[in-house]
Amino acid sequence: MATYAEMQDIFNEISQDFRYDHELNGCLNCGICTATCPSAHFYDYSPREIVQLLWTENVEQVYNAMQEKIWACAQCMTCAARCPFRNSPGGLVMIMREVAIKHGFESAKQVLRPFGRVMLKLITTGNQLSPDMIQPDAFPDWGPNIQKVEGDLQTLRNAIPVKTLQTVETAWEVSLKTSVEMYTIWEMTGVLASLETMDENLYDVIEDFIDEKREDYEDWLEEQEED
Amino acid sequence: MANDDIRNAGGNMNPGFSNTDGQGIAGHGSFFQPTDLSPEEAQAATEWVRKEVDKRRYQNEERVEDIREHMWELEKEGEIIVHRITDDMEPKEVEMLYGWKKRIPTKQLWHHKSCGQCGNIPGYPASLLWFMNKFGFEPGKDYLDETDQTSCTAWNYHGSGIGNVESLAAVFLRNFHQAYVSGQQHGHDAGHFFPLVHCGTSFGNYKEIRQYLIESAELREKVTKILDKLGRTVDGKLVIPEEIVHYSEWVHVMRHRIASELQTIDMSNIRTTMHVACHYYKMIHEDAVYDPDVLGGNRTAIGTALAQALGSQVIDYSTWYDCCGFGFRHIISEREFTRSFTIDRKIKVAQEEAQADVMLGNDTGCITTMDKNQWIGKAHDQNYQMPIISDVQFAALACGADPFKIVQLQWHASPVEELVEKMGISWAESKANFEAYLKEVEQGNIEYLYNPELAYGGTN
Repeated sequence: MATYAEMQDIFNEISQDFRYDHELNGCLNCGICTATCPSAHFYDYSPREIVQLLWTENVEQVYNAMQEKIWACAQCMTCAARCPFRNSPGGLVMIMREVAIKHGFESAKQVLRPFGRVMLKLITTGNQLSPDMIQPDAFPDWGPNIQKVEGDLQTLRNAIPVKTLQTVETAWEVSLKTSVEMYTIWEMTGVLASLETMDENLYDVIEDFIDEKREDYEDWLEEQEED
Repeated sequence: MANDDIRNAGGNMNPGFSNTDGQGIAGHGSFFQPTDLSPEEAQAATEWVRKEVDKRRYQNEERVEDIREHMWELEKEGEIIVHRITDDMEPKEVEMLYGWKKRIPTKQLWHHKSCGQCGNIPGYPASLLWFMNKFGFEPGKDYLDETDQTSCTAWNYHGSGIGNVESLAAVFLRNFHQAYVSGQQHGHDAGHFFPLVHCGTSFGNYKEIRQYLIESAELREKVTKILDKLGRTVDGKLVIPEEIVHYSEWVHVMRHRIASELQTIDMSNIRTTMHVACHYYKMIHEDAVYDPDVLGGNRTAIGTALAQALGSQVIDYSTWYDCCGFGFRHIISEREFTRSFTIDRKIKVAQEEAQADVMLGNDTGCITTMDKNQWIGKAHDQNYQMPIISDVQFAALACGADPFKIVQLQWHASPVEELVEKMGISWAESKANFEAYLKEVEQGNIEYLYNPELAYGGTN
């Protein structure tokens, strides 16, 4: 259990984010945000509560909300579109999630465990989703009619009349140079460091992959020079 | 009331509300009581919300800054380069929420693809490119689809929290720098191609990130170092597009030309409902298209105006404003939430209230969510089935595009067969033709919408 001082530090980190004053302008507890919130239908979650906890600087309850509640938000931003104060409860949740990850909260680790495959795909290829991830065996709840023409996946993808889409392992063909540029962004913005905090094994796999891709790119550059 | 008093006040929330432990919501307890409004009063209150809050009439223009004014100032001060919409792009003007004007370029477009569309709903981008060809656009001059681009990474960010404003901003600037310079390898000047964003979440994210970049000198300084390292600045400056433009805005401004020049199928017997992506109009909501003649000007005109222009019947339904239930994280790891919400608040309502033949969308996640999460409803005797496709696929069908080769309906799980048949197109015949085409594909005889070399920087 965190001490009050530690919880205060967490709160300070949230409230010092440059977006904080942009996303929180006041609150009269009107509840329009919660009335319209899809997650409030299903979870013990209320955007009005999140706003009030931050607005009243309730550092203990803010800390508690970061253990689970903030992960209920569906990020639709209906709350932001409707708030008479132009607050963005969904935007505040994102700041809180970022801080939870930065500090390696156990709750965040648990919540994000099923996200590993998406993360691996995104970080290493620059695409978040690919055709080979959306196969019927991964989604039995989507039913038997998930694809209306049977056939080899690569052949079906080749039947899309757009060259960049004739891929299986990425949503579109991303050039190697582009992916390598993306790795630099991940490194320089601290995203890889966040991943290391959250899931060391996944981080190791990604690092190996990135090293390999960078070598491929260097080789390609050398080939170009020789030509 | 002091915080401690509020925290200790306790209270009993209504069953079914978010807190039922008798302690009230943390810090805000028993003084929140049921309003006990009569049904008539509740209806009147709801109407007020619909009329006023949904359009935010009382958050008028004076209280909202037009970030574009600051953008032009930054350019004057030599801090950034604004990627301009030129007359050559033949822009059309639209009205946004507060009556502000936005110019939508109709030509010289750099297709910024969507990972969800390309990976899962490929008929979405294919239909869009098909339309550009039908209008006589020349690939490599009037539009470009190339491999040098990444996802916006915002799906991951909103789902997992991995990522941050700096990474999102760097990705935004990297991709849009590429859009800015992309024309040069095809014999055009810098700035020839203007980015056309396919994904709704990318659109919302990019609008937000552009605002942060314009407002925060600190953010600009941080990301300039990254973009410099990547060689993605111009004269040491960041390149920011004059407008963030969503593909559905292009479809919107082209709708009358689509209907008058290309439409071949009478759509008057088709009952349509529209679901507009939350991230299209709820993020930076002042930057979304409204039309006083569409839905009373109270809701964004995107999608609906197209369905009207095509002559279909547009049917309203009570949960129009609701999210689809995608949730970014939820569709992967909270699937009970996603499918319950989409069935209860979208599919069921559109079917029972509107008796719709189709639900149209303008984004990736919504269409995936609503399309794929119908069959599972049978587990709870919720037999609601409805075709789900995008606005541009719907328009392409109305204009005679092949349901398989172009609109790629074979990837949809919802009963799109019924819609196609109702439009007078034989599903069985189209499918048989496509299966024959697959044999050609296996032999390497592939039909393309543009010369594939263009995707790699080559020429026509």
